[in-house]
Amino acid sequence: MPPDTGHGDSGPRDRLPRGGGPRDGGHGDRSRGDRGRGDGDRRRGVPRTLAEELRTRPDDALAALLRARPDLLSPVPNDLTQLATRAGTRASVVRAVERLDRFAQQTAEALAVAPDPCSYETLRDLLTGDAGPEEPGAPGAPKGAGPTSAPGPTPAPAPASGIGAPLGAEERAAVVAELPRAVATLREQALVWGGDDRLRLVRTARELLAPSPTSPSPTGLGPTVQEATSGMSPGRLQELLAAAGESPTHDPVTAATALAELFRDRARMAALLDGAPEGAAAVLAKLTWGPPYGETSVASPTPPVGWLLDHGLLLPSGPRNVVLPREVALHLRHGRAHRAPEPLAPELSPTIAHDPQVVDNTAAGQTFTALATVEELLGQWETAGPPVLRAGGLSVRDLKRTAVVLDVSEPVAAFWIELAHAAGLVAADGQTDERYAPTPAYDDWLRLPAEERWARLTAAWLPATRTPGLVGGRDSRGRTLAALGPELDRSPAPEVRRRVLELLATLPHGAAAAPDVLLARLRWERPHGHRGATASAAATPGAVSSSGPAYGATASAAAYAPGGAAEAAPTGGDLRSRLARWAVAEAEMLGVTGRGALSAHGRALLERHPDEPTAAGSELASAQAARLLAPLLPEPLDHVLLQADLTAVAPGPLERPLAATLGILADVESKGGATVYRFTPESVRRALDAGRTADDVHTFLTAHSRTPVPQPLAYLVDDVARKHGRLRIGAASAYLRCDDDALLAEILADRRSAGLRLRRLAPTVLAAQAPPDTLLEGLRAMGYAPAAESAEGDVLVSRPEAQRTPPRKPPAPVPEGPPVPDATLLGAAVRAIRAGDLAATAPHKPTAGAGAGPETAPGSRTGTGTGTKAGSGAGSGSAASGDRLPRTTSADTLATMQAAALTGSNVWIGYVNANGAATQRVIAPVRVEGGFVTAYDHTADEVRTYPLHRITGAAELAEDAP
Amino acid sequence: MNGPLIVQSDKTLLLEVDHEQADACRRAIAPFAELERAPEHIHTYRVTPLGLWNARAAGHDAEQVVDALVAYSRYPVPHALLVDVAETMARYGRLRLLKHPTHGLVLETSDRPILEEILRSKKVQPLVGARIDPETVVVHPSERGQIKQTLLKLGWPAEDLAGYVDGEAHPIELHEDGWALRPYQTQAVEGFWHGGSGVVVLPCGAGKTLVGAGAMATAKSTTLILVTNTVSARQWKHELVRRTSLTEDEIGEYSGTRKEIRPVTIATYQVLTTKRKGIYPHLELFDSRDWGLIVYDEVHLLPAPVFKFTADLQARRRLGLTATLVREDGRESDVFSLIGPKRFDAPWKEIEAQGYIAPADCVEVRVNLTETERLAYATAETEEKYRYCATTDSKRRITEALVARHKGQQTLVIGQYIDQLDELGEHLDAPVIKGETTNAQREKLFEAFRQGELSVLVVSKVANFSVDLPEATVAIQVSGTFGSRQEEAQRLGRVLRPKADGHPAVFYSVVARDTIDQDFAAHRQRFLAEQGYAYRIVDASELLADEDV
Repeated sequence: MPPDTGHGDSGPRDRLPRGGGPRDGGHGDRSRGDRGRGDGDRRRGVPRTLAEELRTRPDDALAALLRARPDLLSPVPNDLTQLATRAGTRASVVRAVERLDRFAQQTAEALAVAPDPCSYETLRDLLTGDAGPEEPGAPGAPKGAGPTSAPGPTPAPAPASGIGAPLGAEERAAVVAELPRAVATLREQALVWGGDDRLRLVRTARELLAPSPTSPSPTGLGPTVQEATSGMSPGRLQELLAAAGESPTHDPVTAATALAELFRDRARMAALLDGAPEGAAAVLAKLTWGPPYGETSVASPTPPVGWLLDHGLLLPSGPRNVVLPREVALHLRHGRAHRAPEPLAPELSPTIAHDPQVVDNTAAGQTFTALATVEELLGQWETAGPPVLRAGGLSVRDLKRTAVVLDVSEPVAAFWIELAHAAGLVAADGQTDERYAPTPAYDDWLRLPAEERWARLTAAWLPATRTPGLVGGRDSRGRTLAALGPELDRSPAPEVRRRVLELLATLPHGAAAAPDVLLARLRWERPHGHRGATASAAATPGAVSSSGPAYGATASAAAYAPGGAAEAAPTGGDLRSRLARWAVAEAEMLGVTGRGALSAHGRALLERHPDEPTAAGSELASAQAARLLAPLLPEPLDHVLLQADLTAVAPGPLERPLAATLGILADVESKGGATVYRFTPESVRRALDAGRTADDVHTFLTAHSRTPVPQPLAYLVDDVARKHGRLRIGAASAYLRCDDDALLAEILADRRSAGLRLRRLAPTVLAAQAPPDTLLEGLRAMGYAPAAESAEGDVLVSRPEAQRTPPRKPPAPVPEGPPVPDATLLGAAVRAIRAGDLAATAPHKPTAGAGAGPETAPGSRTGTGTGTKAGSGAGSGSAASGDRLPRTTSADTLATMQAAALTGSNVWIGYVNANGAATQRVIAPVRVEGGFVTAYDHTADEVRTYPLHRITGAAELAEDAP
Repeated sequence: MNGPLIVQSDKTLLLEVDHEQADACRRAIAPFAELERAPEHIHTYRVTPLGLWNARAAGHDAEQVVDALVAYSRYPVPHALLVDVAETMARYGRLRLLKHPTHGLVLETSDRPILEEILRSKKVQPLVGARIDPETVVVHPSERGQIKQTLLKLGWPAEDLAGYVDGEAHPIELHEDGWALRPYQTQAVEGFWHGGSGVVVLPCGAGKTLVGAGAMATAKSTTLILVTNTVSARQWKHELVRRTSLTEDEIGEYSGTRKEIRPVTIATYQVLTTKRKGIYPHLELFDSRDWGLIVYDEVHLLPAPVFKFTADLQARRRLGLTATLVREDGRESDVFSLIGPKRFDAPWKEIEAQGYIAPADCVEVRVNLTETERLAYATAETEEKYRYCATTDSKRRITEALVARHKGQQTLVIGQYIDQLDELGEHLDAPVIKGETTNAQREKLFEAFRQGELSVLVVSKVANFSVDLPEATVAIQVSGTFGSRQEEAQRLGRVLRPKADGHPAVFYSVVARDTIDQDFAAHRQRFLAEQGYAYRIVDASELLADEDV
């Protein structure tokens, strides 16, 4: 068997679903590589493609595949070929790989750096590494699936580098024990197919996981010798061969193979490394566990690097980069693909054991707080709901205000708000000035018993994808994420939440695990999205390589989870951990857990068949949870204790109508298991305003107090009631007064006055709902002669008033053409024209500077004269002159200016204004300093300041100029 | 799950007093929770950081606190509160004030980041000196009180292990012949001595002077006693001579008139806070002897300058005595941090139940103003309103009626406004004691009152404190210092001394209805209402009409 490791990858892609499914089933997507022709496998019945293999799987295995990868089902594939095609698409594979547990993923990674196909034993050896000297390695792969990793016992002395001791026997055993499960998982998910003698990773997964220069492998392994030398000159290869002491060959492929062969030979490699110069081991050590790329000068390397390059132990990957070939790295790693294989899920330990009774009671107490908080929140919003931001959501200020009212921190307030929203208890009201307000569902909710109210909340919480934990953070565009606002949905949230609770449910009743413990487990189960964290958690110090951890982390994250990475990036990258932490905190706030342990009712919530996540199932679970919770909740009370210090204490939750009335009658002073109310004149007045009478209040207090009503309280109520309503306020549009009350009585009795809606306030005063003028007219029509009164009580003299507009200007005439200019304007115009003309035509002394050569460009540059006052005329002048701008060196310009300033003479300058337009001007410099010339500008007829650097040149005017 | 205690999320504890476990629960929570209100059915305690730290200082740990809460709580205790308790208590003792053999007073920590944190505070910087090593820093000895107060505010209370100076020894014994310290007084003295320094809160008439004497007898060293005025200074002296082995010669009075410095010196706050040319000339009193104990009487009245002096006296034992630690200026916490935490507190009603103070009937008499008075009140300037409604003729008439009703009983009429008192004195034919009354005259009148030669006395607020009038059974308050809660309590205290015949005392507060007087009265009564004194409200008209109210 020729050592043809790369063959599977590069082999021709014959599309031959032998069974003859519709060939066009997966059109456009057939370039899958998992159908590479096998290594001479020609046996009948052995599937040669994934589709063929799937065909041989029993129905339940296919069902398992579809359950694990539901995305393959939409739409339902026509046949198995199509299913196989779809299972090999990048998006689907990415999704599947992301959802693998840590060990299955490591197995897939190992397969990706192993030859394709690869025997089970080879795979196992890649994960366990070399056996200890006494332990025989795995027997050679029967089919000789590539000579990789020399299955024969190759007792390897510790490599010269001395890095990475072999895996301990226990760990090896664990890997060996767990590997079948991992392979089965991969197989079930159709990521791996083929028999144990020839496992094949589907091509897309291989591409995803295999190292390439742009995305190093998660294993930290580099490209193979074959790949790394592909661009190398044959001569250089020969040198490498020679240095290695191999027989020369002219075929580069053979040469690379020979080299690879050497690197795989533990004994020969060890001998070779023994001869390495000092420092080489350190260089190798840096690259061994990846990333395998190092930065160094290939042209003039340091002696150890030079030696390594000469022997092909490092291969150049660019002018300044070298790479450690995979075979060499594997040798240094004792044949191991991963530094720390993690075959077993981390245990949930340590746990803290609480008394289950205490846990349930604490959780129940918390459920009660949760309900009270939601009620308080919505009670608050019932009357003064906060406005909806234009972009949606709640403003930061309103969130703060709500947090203060609820007496919680802002993130916690955001949680309650989002929870109420998720449960459909609060929503935007849809009015023009949109505000949040409780929904009708809130009223229904209020009528439920406490345990069912809680069940409703948790039923909304469990599947919610909105994550209140993000509130206050910023999205990718730097906008603050608002509570109830957009972009709070995170699709993994429900799954993480449920998983957290399920993990807690695996602990004995009453046991709590710290969030970090849960996180470690969650990370193992779904490593992706946590690469950075996993690396630092799993790897021993020093694992971090020369290129730094960030590189590997971001690159691989991008490779695995294009969608996920983009989503996670703005929130800090570690979305799942954060979700898990939030889930733990939220569960505690909701009373699903108590003291960190899952309560009995919380446990009941989770009970459902995992395969059938139907609404009915979770409703049943909710109902069961509510049933368990009910006896733990305190019974609502129908009485309070009234005290002489004008407080009332409800030693437990009150019946709703009682609480509502008391809430009006008194102010809440303290909340919790009990409620302390304080009666104040204001609160009693509020009750009276709400339509209660003093008698009502007395009856209410007597009925609901266990103790006699204290006298001061009775006095308080009576005192307030006595004063209440003594002053009366109403609205009237007009009043009618008359000293003769008989007359008023007459008017009131008159049927015609009904339309005026008069009401007698006092014997001599009537109030009318009709406005004064209507009242006047009405009374006049009835034959009276009323007079209007001013606000001060004077009789208004009524005369028809002549109307006036506010001050207005008469229209201005519109003459034809422009107005005739007056003498001043004319004078100025003439002066300007003259000055422009002077600038353009003034004879000036020839300049002697270097820059005074013929200039061709200025003609086009001098055309406009923008930037100067209108009518400066410079432009027109220059056009006529066709002259060029003066050009002198800056020294000459300066000298000319200074001289002119001294003598008070005029100079002719070229000047480029801020818009880049060039003009010529005649100026009389007054002062030259600080890089500026202050001068009288004849062209503009005013004193201006010119930056010297804008002046292209200056020339004195000829003597005969004015 | 049917305990007497309800733990609220705002860290108040509600204790149902009629519950069978109420007493046990009260004892369990007393070390760390402050009694805030004690009305008839449910007492309110509050868990404060200060209280928790004091509990730590007294040797309780978080576990005990949590156990007490959980054991007696009716409902599950919020987990967050328990965590908070543990965290708060863990903050205590991370910083310690120690006496260093060579550097004197030092602040030491076992937790370096905390020291770094507090040394960064601008308030701490001026109080500390050189850094000795990464975990120790020198503290100026004079700033001992200041730094403790500052650290307390920063949330890192320092455990003061620097100890107290013993002071100059002086033999003092209690003369317990025919009387003995009451159990609660003994407890108070023990509590104080165990804690080193602190405040003892006892109701008026419950014998605070004896607690002071007891503390002196325990300290057996020279003592400086600070009192509110000369009259009470004399009473202290009288009481000390009677109850202890001290003789007249050993007790000095340091007041406006006399400047004696003796092994036991009684000084008034007024003389200490007299300021001349920007300095306090009598401050050297604090340094004039090596005092082993300083007693602050009526500590709730401690004037602000004395706070400052006290901060410098942290090496000496300090005992604060008060009945009502409520200050309308809200400086209660300063009292606690400078003099020391509350070491003993007994609810008034509890002492009453034990028979050491007389039961009292508190009555608020509501007077209807006449039409003209109401009109005058309505048009009065805002700042004059209280004075007007507090001194109306209607009030005077009802006061006279009340005095007449209690004819033959020792009656005090207490008021704020001198005009009103003079007028009352005239109508009632009773002497008036006010600020201008000389001490000699005062003592003479008091003596006459004690002897029963006088049965009615009209007093202004000068008699608010420390006037020992054993047989006053009726007090009528006609006006007061606006809404001062402690004044009301002190005035009630005038009649709480146990009566020979076990007769209950009556305390009337005459209030003009529907005026600001009524609002102030409501505020004034709050402290007593919270101590369980339920006021009865009676209409003046009923009172006049019906003799049996």
